[in-house]
Amino acid sequence: MTPSFSYKTPKTLHEACDLLWNYQGKAKLIAGGTDLVIGLRSGDFQPHCLIDITRIEELRRIDEKNETVSVGTTVTHSEIASSHLIKRYGKVLSDAASEIGSPQIRNLGTIGGNIVNASPAADTLPPLMVLDAYAKVVSKEGGREVPVFQLFKGPYETALKPHEILAQIKFQKLPLDIRNSFVRLARREAMAIARMSVALVLRLEKGTIEDIRISIGAVTPTPQRISDVERMLKGRMPEEMLIKKASQKVSEVMIERSGIRPSTSYKAPVLEALFVRAMRNALEAES
Amino acid sequence: MMKNEKETSTIKFVLNGKSVQIDVPPHWTLLRLLREKLGFTGTKEGCGIGECGACTVLLDGMPVNACLILVLKVDGREVQTVEGLGSRESLHPLQQSFIDHGAVQCGFCTPGILMSSKALLDRNPHPNRDEIKEGISGHLCRCTGYHQIIEAIEAVTHK
Repeated sequence: MTPSFSYKTPKTLHEACDLLWNYQGKAKLIAGGTDLVIGLRSGDFQPHCLIDITRIEELRRIDEKNETVSVGTTVTHSEIASSHLIKRYGKVLSDAASEIGSPQIRNLGTIGGNIVNASPAADTLPPLMVLDAYAKVVSKEGGREVPVFQLFKGPYETALKPHEILAQIKFQKLPLDIRNSFVRLARREAMAIARMSVALVLRLEKGTIEDIRISIGAVTPTPQRISDVERMLKGRMPEEMLIKKASQKVSEVMIERSGIRPSTSYKAPVLEALFVRAMRNALEAES
Repeated sequence: MMKNEKETSTIKFVLNGKSVQIDVPPHWTLLRLLREKLGFTGTKEGCGIGECGACTVLLDGMPVNACLILVLKVDGREVQTVEGLGSRESLHPLQQSFIDHGAVQCGFCTPGILMSSKALLDRNPHPNRDEIKEGISGHLCRCTGYHQIIEAIEAVTHK
């Protein structure tokens, strides 16, 4: 049984900030509800008030301004997957959004919700890491911009204050000749939570890796770039031996961050294979 | 703290083409409203957590899990359920095709799959097999193994 609560539908961000402030931590924001409604049903959440932010127009837009793409917090995964702007300038994100859950979940779930739920397995997080995305956070006290990776304190735990709203995600447009890859592994293709994923973007210049950014999902407590491996590959020719060595380094980084677990003997070689696959996809893709 | 069940809000929405205005407790889901208050029991409750797709309805034309939608979300919007698809006298082409192809066994997943199939065909009248599979990927069917369902949808696209 879900206990009762009041339900507010502010039309402006200002109004939403006021409401959240006035409830002093006893209200929760709701967007798509794909995680929150399950938590209400199980009793994990017992808010006095839900503030539905999906009727705030300015949070529902995907825009470009000069070299920056901005995505409102309540833009759904379906909208991201089909956005021409994101497919052009941040394909690694639209690819990941298109593989989340099921069509029904993608029509409800939002990018902001995926971030603030802070699941280690959230599919949009590795792409946001390789996009070097940053978040616009607002509250009654004002606004701040912060790199997305700094929003996470641990699994299911963000650094947002109770009265703060994640309003927008922004990233610099990727160069058009960049190669993207997002690969995910789950128990089955549809409606399954990722066991592990790899997101990367890379640029080749005369056969050498001129730039590369890599992130892995679901196998570390919080999302991060893997700069050790990026450094290893930058300026080098993407030869098979090098990619294999890099893949071993990827699984070492996973172990450094997550420790040795009963599943490690499975995850290490599989993550390595997934990384190699992601590299191949990117190298074989039309840039 | 349980608050009084009688605390309600009024919502207005369009259900299968007809305007509905009703008082509902804010913590109810759309699924509960449809089944327990409005008597639209064609929409099924399977898992209740957005995994099985049995409760799929169309919200502004898009398939969604009615078990994950709190009722106030539908205020001012349009909902379609299987009851709005066809009638006993004149079935929707998808419904007829499901019967013709043996795509219904126990029938529990059928209303939801019909709604996702309708949304798919509204958007893309001639999907290929992969697009059909993707379109119904948010549904579990434990009887048919999906083949008959895919064939039933495919047959409609060839008409």
